[in-house]
Amino acid sequence: MRLAILLAADALLPSRIQMAFTLAYHILLVPFGVALPFYTLLMEGIGIFRGDPIALRIARRWSVVMAVQFAVGAVTGTILSFEFGILWPKMLGRFGAAFGLGFAIEGIAFFLEAIFIGIYLYGWRRLPPRIHFVMGLVLIPAGLLGAFGVVSSNAWMNTPGGVTLDASGQLGSVDALAALFTKALPYEFWHFVIAIYLTAGFFVASIYAVAWLRGRRDQYQRLAFAVPFTIAALLAPVEVVVGDLSARGLVSDQPTKFAAMEINWKTQSHVPEIIGGLLTGSGEVVLGIVIPSLDSILVGYSPDAVAPGLSSFAPDARPTTIEANITHLAFDLMVGLGTAGAALAAWYFFVLIRRRDLPQSRWFYRGAALAGVGAYVAVESGWVTTEVGRQPWIVYNAMRVSDAVTSAPAAYVWTMLALLVMVYAVIGIIFVTVVLKLRARWRRDDLAELTETPEEGVPYGPRPATLRS
Amino acid sequence: MTAALANLSALVLLITVTAYSVAGGVDFGAGIWDLLAGGGEQAHEARALIDHAMAPVWEANNVWLVFSIVVCWTGFPLLFQSVFASLYPLFSLALLGVILRGAFFAFRHIASGPRMERASSLVFGISSVVTPFFFAATLGAIASGRVGIGEPTVPVWEACFNPMSISFGLVALAATAFSGASFLVGDARRYGIPDMVDYFRRRAVVATFGLIATGALGLVAIGFEAPRLLGSMIGGLGTPFALAAIVMTPLVGFLLWRGRFVWYRVLTVGAVSSLVLAWGLAQAPFMLPGTLTVSKAAAPVATHVALAIVTGVLVLLVAPSLGLLVYFDQRSALEPTKY
Repeated sequence: MRLAILLAADALLPSRIQMAFTLAYHILLVPFGVALPFYTLLMEGIGIFRGDPIALRIARRWSVVMAVQFAVGAVTGTILSFEFGILWPKMLGRFGAAFGLGFAIEGIAFFLEAIFIGIYLYGWRRLPPRIHFVMGLVLIPAGLLGAFGVVSSNAWMNTPGGVTLDASGQLGSVDALAALFTKALPYEFWHFVIAIYLTAGFFVASIYAVAWLRGRRDQYQRLAFAVPFTIAALLAPVEVVVGDLSARGLVSDQPTKFAAMEINWKTQSHVPEIIGGLLTGSGEVVLGIVIPSLDSILVGYSPDAVAPGLSSFAPDARPTTIEANITHLAFDLMVGLGTAGAALAAWYFFVLIRRRDLPQSRWFYRGAALAGVGAYVAVESGWVTTEVGRQPWIVYNAMRVSDAVTSAPAAYVWTMLALLVMVYAVIGIIFVTVVLKLRARWRRDDLAELTETPEEGVPYGPRPATLRS
Repeated sequence: MTAALANLSALVLLITVTAYSVAGGVDFGAGIWDLLAGGGEQAHEARALIDHAMAPVWEANNVWLVFSIVVCWTGFPLLFQSVFASLYPLFSLALLGVILRGAFFAFRHIASGPRMERASSLVFGISSVVTPFFFAATLGAIASGRVGIGEPTVPVWEACFNPMSISFGLVALAATAFSGASFLVGDARRYGIPDMVDYFRRRAVVATFGLIATGALGLVAIGFEAPRLLGSMIGGLGTPFALAAIVMTPLVGFLLWRGRFVWYRVLTVGAVSSLVLAWGLAQAPFMLPGTLTVSKAAAPVATHVALAIVTGVLVLLVAPSLGLLVYFDQRSALEPTKY
């Protein structure tokens, strides 16, 4: 009965679920695609310029993981670009001329990444070390350029600009630069880029934090932990400040999103900050910790500052109560995890400066082991905050999600979603299996103190010669 | 000025689609031969060669695909909306192939044991058939004039599955098998394996006949379904490329049959790209035959200026990068194992 209703309804619900699912999946690969090259190159640089074979071995191994994830990310990313057409054809039809520009720039980055990741991975043995290093360096700006393009398009959805609409709501003219650099871009870009560098750093370090907890204490473990963790720890407090600027930017740029994040019902001064808690349909807040006037102080540095409330906007132009609650809880989770990351970073630097050595506390390494997953959860919840908080708009104040959706039957989209979930699950299992197999072999190599090439026989590289010689 | 810039973007779109057809075609073709190799010692050897040949250029083909999609929705939003609104089933099926292919890349090297290898080979083969067939079918569906502006004007299933879309799909399968075999001849020569050179030479000749046959079938379908398109392929913008395809395809088959290993790869690229260009230019100035012209589909002029700049930057950055890749590859700086 229920199933029949779902299948008979329009495709809005399954389309939203499918987009959310495939994007959430792809975002897992982004920190590794954009930021892991930086850490790998940093490690290779240490190896080359200090003549350290251990650092070189670490860099080679990271480059293999980078390549495996790039293979998966190239597929999930390609699928996303097609989903814009399959699920949201009317949004692209109406706004593609402005919204699409960022993706055109991302296209350049994708070309460069595809070429140089090939050179980098296949060049380990035969290219002179310094040339190999320089080839790899291209991956860093290419990753940032790609992130810029995608974030620019997303920022355009949040604060559309650079377009004029005619009387019928169709696109009249475009100002390309204004469409690329909309109001939300500066804070969205820095907030995002720092987040993924931080996440990649904490995640890579967390693997070696686990190794430390399991008793591995050699130079390999120290280096592979300290380099990414130090960078991530430097970025953690910066991200708190940038995140605060982002939230502040929303007050004027997207007041409905800001009101949903804070589950604030009335536009007024002396608005309290609510940590946790839920908004009811009648605008009451239940549960949660209430700190008087703090929201107003965060908005305008004064208890008298006026913060926007949901009830000031028409019900069909603001997130529903459920959406507001999802936005709020995701926001709180992100802020909580970000703060915890900054605290862990403070601990790290305190010990590092006082003792001039890495921390030796089991509790520190337990925290570091959790920081990787924590950073990922923060990235996902930040993404939930910005996307759910924009509802019901696909383009803020210009086009509703329900007006952009495909006219394909709901049953079709549900079927496609089910297939995608199954195939993505298989890809996930394969990805994890590959990484675990690599780990097992590297561990054997380390025990046998072998120094043969780790990139042989992995998905990206050719397997050892099976042809006649 | 506006018209010229929109035409430039349309040309970039056509060239990108062509590049995907050529580069992707070589890889998909290898997958088709992998699927058809059967069992036995020789099949094992053929698969090993395919595996080696695929490695250094693997996923790069998706780059063309993504860029063509992006140029389409940015430069010609109305075309993008129309095509997806009518043809989403074809795109979904093609995407399934793209995903399976991605899974295969991760899968094939962890597969151990004959059963797993068989499964991995099957996934690779299926993706290599499904993807080119359905992507090409979208072009056939567009050429048939069944895609409505903005919203579907005929039932979606009819827009997707008709003689034109199916014959375009078949041409694509033959063309990928053709270019795959031709390039595998080159790889076998490079690694110095004479019996594999003969193995793929024979297959290239068979594929040449296949391409000529499906091409003829395609022309008949076009003649019945879209006579105006056929007209401008015979006497219009598409003519030089139609002629080029008609000349170059048998020439490749002839050269490989006689074992004359000169120019055959260049001619293969020429033949396959001519096929795509002949269709695209014969349709000009229409993006949707008879209804939607380039200028009517085009985004505002500033978008095309931006696209022209992006394309210029792309060429300036990517051309030397690709040159570098080829340079290192030719000097065997990118081959971690000796052959």
